[in-house]
Amino acid sequence: MDNNNLTDNEIESIAQSLVIDNVSEKIECNDKTTEREDESQPDLNQTNLKDKGENNFDSRAFRKYKIKDIVFLAIISACTLVTGGVMPLLVNVPVFGIVQLGLGLQFSVFPVIGMLKVRKAGALILQSIFVGVFLVFMFPPMVMIVLCAIVAEGIALLIFKSYKNDWSCVVATTLYMPCTIPLLYLYYNAFYTVVGNEKNAVSMFIGGVNSGVVVGITVAVVALCFVGSVIGMIISRELKKAGALKK
Amino acid sequence: MSFFRFTRKINPLVALVAAVAFVVVGLITAKARTVQCSIFLLSAYVWLLIFGFKRGCVNIILPFIIVGGIFGTIAYFVYGNDYISAIAMVNRFGAVFLAVAIGMSIEPVDTVRTLSSLKVPRQITLGILIATSFPSMLGMEIKRVREAMKTRGAGSVLNPKVFYRAFLVPFVMRLVSISDTLSLSVETRGFTLEKSSCTVYKKVGVTICDVLFVIGVIASAVMVIVL
Repeated sequence: MDNNNLTDNEIESIAQSLVIDNVSEKIECNDKTTEREDESQPDLNQTNLKDKGENNFDSRAFRKYKIKDIVFLAIISACTLVTGGVMPLLVNVPVFGIVQLGLGLQFSVFPVIGMLKVRKAGALILQSIFVGVFLVFMFPPMVMIVLCAIVAEGIALLIFKSYKNDWSCVVATTLYMPCTIPLLYLYYNAFYTVVGNEKNAVSMFIGGVNSGVVVGITVAVVALCFVGSVIGMIISRELKKAGALKK
Repeated sequence: MSFFRFTRKINPLVALVAAVAFVVVGLITAKARTVQCSIFLLSAYVWLLIFGFKRGCVNIILPFIIVGGIFGTIAYFVYGNDYISAIAMVNRFGAVFLAVAIGMSIEPVDTVRTLSSLKVPRQITLGILIATSFPSMLGMEIKRVREAMKTRGAGSVLNPKVFYRAFLVPFVMRLVSISDTLSLSVETRGFTLEKSSCTVYKKVGVTICDVLFVIGVIASAVMVIVL
């Protein structure tokens, strides 16, 4: 009965108040949503930072290896080996640094990709161990490449402290192959036949007395390895941009 | 009793030592004792055939003839028509190729089993297993990428830009995806890097066959150096 007593004006005013209430509720809801969005805003920023690898990246160099790290390093080592299959042909060519010149590019492009994916101390050493198992059958003295990896990683870590910076990986892989050059002296003097005309060959192998040749070839090997490492870094950055190479 | 079991499968570590011995002895005696070195390498080849390295021995014949022939001819002319130098060069390549033959004949699984028996860390055994098994698969991947290049009409691989953009980047991308799948597969098969106990079901031990093989290698190496 009371309802019937309500005039049209009253009904309109109630309806308007309801509408106003709804609107105010909406406004409150919107405010809350805005607050929620505001609360979630820092997360979004953090996500952006994570994408850039600035906030999320664990800068510690010495971290535990996961299975996926080992698998990736092994696959990259296999690539290094396959592309370095020319080694048995180069070992007997009597030219100083021919092995390093022939393999410098392959032994810097692939290892740097491996290191940029697995930014942990020992990544290069592990790769050289995997490669070394094959090299025993191709050219036994090149097994000493493991020592070169230790030296190269040591220098890179001393300079950069960790592998957070891409250039630390580039430095390590640039030094990796040139470090094997001093091994030539040991190898060709100890194992190669040193009689008669062969002395000339040995002389050519170890650069003879011509220090200019030794310096020139060494610089060329370092430059080649640097170029290879930079190419590897560019490929890694491209893959990272495409989302394929996650840290 | 397993020691006296005659098997043509040589222990991978014994084979590795033999490979190093062939290379070192071959390179030392290549010129100083050219004829003896040639006989040593030929007898070593036969020795490898007897002890089950048939696959590697057959595979190296053609590359050895081509490479040895080319470098032997070069050495002949470089050293003033000296055929001894040519034979010495062929000897050196022969020594290296014998070591390669051993490497080609060893089963990666056997190497891993031997290393696991010696308590080598699992990170290394897993890596070695993958690195030794993967090269054959790489060939297929390279073929696929080349086919994709042809389909897209990307151009010649000899062009550095095309090589980088259409070959190298997709190839590495493919490697990354293979590694992700492979690591998942390894994990689902219960492989772990933690210090948990594991069983090596087929142990590759040292047999009398390995001892005979090593004795033969050492005896021939001593003979070629001393005689």
